[in-house]
Amino acid sequence: MSRQPPEIAKDFRHAIRLEWWTLVWMSTVIAAMWLTMGGSKAMQSALIEDVLSLVPALTFLLAARFENREPTAKFPFGFYRVNSLAFLVSAVALGLVGAFLIYESATTLLAQEHPTLAPVEMFGYQLWSGWPMIAALVYSVVPPVIIGRMKEPVAKRLHDKVLHTDALMQKADWQTGLAGILGITGIYFGYWWADSAAALFIAASVMKDALTNIRIASAELLDGAPRALDRADIAADAQRLHARLSARWPEGEVRLRESGRYIVAAVDGVGPDSAEVPPLETLMGDDDGWRLSRLGLAPRQAAADE
Amino acid sequence: MRMIRTFAATALLTALAGCADPPRDPAQTTERVRDSGIVRLGVIAGAPPDARADAAVASVARALGARVERREDHTEELLEALELGELDLVYGHFSDASPWATRVHFGDPPGWGRKAGATETAPRFAFRNGENGWIMRLERAGGAQ
Repeated sequence: MSRQPPEIAKDFRHAIRLEWWTLVWMSTVIAAMWLTMGGSKAMQSALIEDVLSLVPALTFLLAARFENREPTAKFPFGFYRVNSLAFLVSAVALGLVGAFLIYESATTLLAQEHPTLAPVEMFGYQLWSGWPMIAALVYSVVPPVIIGRMKEPVAKRLHDKVLHTDALMQKADWQTGLAGILGITGIYFGYWWADSAAALFIAASVMKDALTNIRIASAELLDGAPRALDRADIAADAQRLHARLSARWPEGEVRLRESGRYIVAAVDGVGPDSAEVPPLETLMGDDDGWRLSRLGLAPRQAAADE
Repeated sequence: MRMIRTFAATALLTALAGCADPPRDPAQTTERVRDSGIVRLGVIAGAPPDARADAAVASVARALGARVERREDHTEELLEALELGELDLVYGHFSDASPWATRVHFGDPPGWGRKAGATETAPRFAFRNGENGWIMRLERAGGAQ
């Protein structure tokens, strides 16, 4: 555990706690949805989306166990990128489920299947099963929206893409809940198509999440430049670091890549007198000093080969 | 502030009252029964009659001011007619393991006070899929016994 910069240790522990809370609260949501679920496609899609929302939390907790391990002979650069690998795998899985849900709800819509929501007995009274479903859907948006809001600032401080995407997905969860409620209310008023239309909307949102996640994860696995947390642009602190390194070694070629939450910098083609390198934190200027984890300098190659 | 509270209270009461109302049928079975005064009941040939099922359908018909018109035939014919909307409900002994279970909706056995087991054959009604209000009227009548 010695490889983690002490500046982020507290936030890192906080993030792990938040992800455990996510697992606990989302399990109560899944239980409530599962218990009330009937023949509604929208409800089924929303339930599957809630089950999938456990994946980023599990990914984060799994990666957190690996991230700070000491490098080994077989993995001399450490395990910073376990997160990215797990994230890519989960994003692909999310995409497959999204595609399946889109197919399911689209065929239900085209086949004009009418969803049957039979009454259920509650407190000795026959109640239309749509009402407890709506209650479960209302409950289902409360925990993720609150936890998502709590995670976002922590994710920003940790420069953690998985945590940030997770937070955004959870903050957007109210849309799923609302779509499900509209679908079931539609059934109540005799609009059979409202249900599969809502299911299609939810499936599309699962697909959108999957594509965002695949793009973020693959950028890092392809040694892309460090990206901003909330956009596909290059991160502002990376741009500033690039400028600082270029000013210091004007003759060299500066390249930055992302390794988990850290930046790895390489400057190729520096002169022979560049041996003196300041502490890495100072190269980050006013940005988070711990972000730059490694700087590699390669001297200019002799041109004698030609 | 007071107006908002009055409004919220009214909205809540309306919502609660709405809970008691059965949902609407996308294919208007309930309206059709009320307008035509006829419940079109299919009875599977040879199915042993069940007094509680008879009572349930009679009570729904009475509440809608309708009489029950029975048609006896084989399972295939009746359930296909139900799917096409030529019948309002079909009485028979059905199991949820039946291949028909996705094409039509099998209600709870009237008067049992519980659901039929997954592979249990029980005397009950089959309904056209999605006719949620109509299904609910029958289930309430069957559950009240």
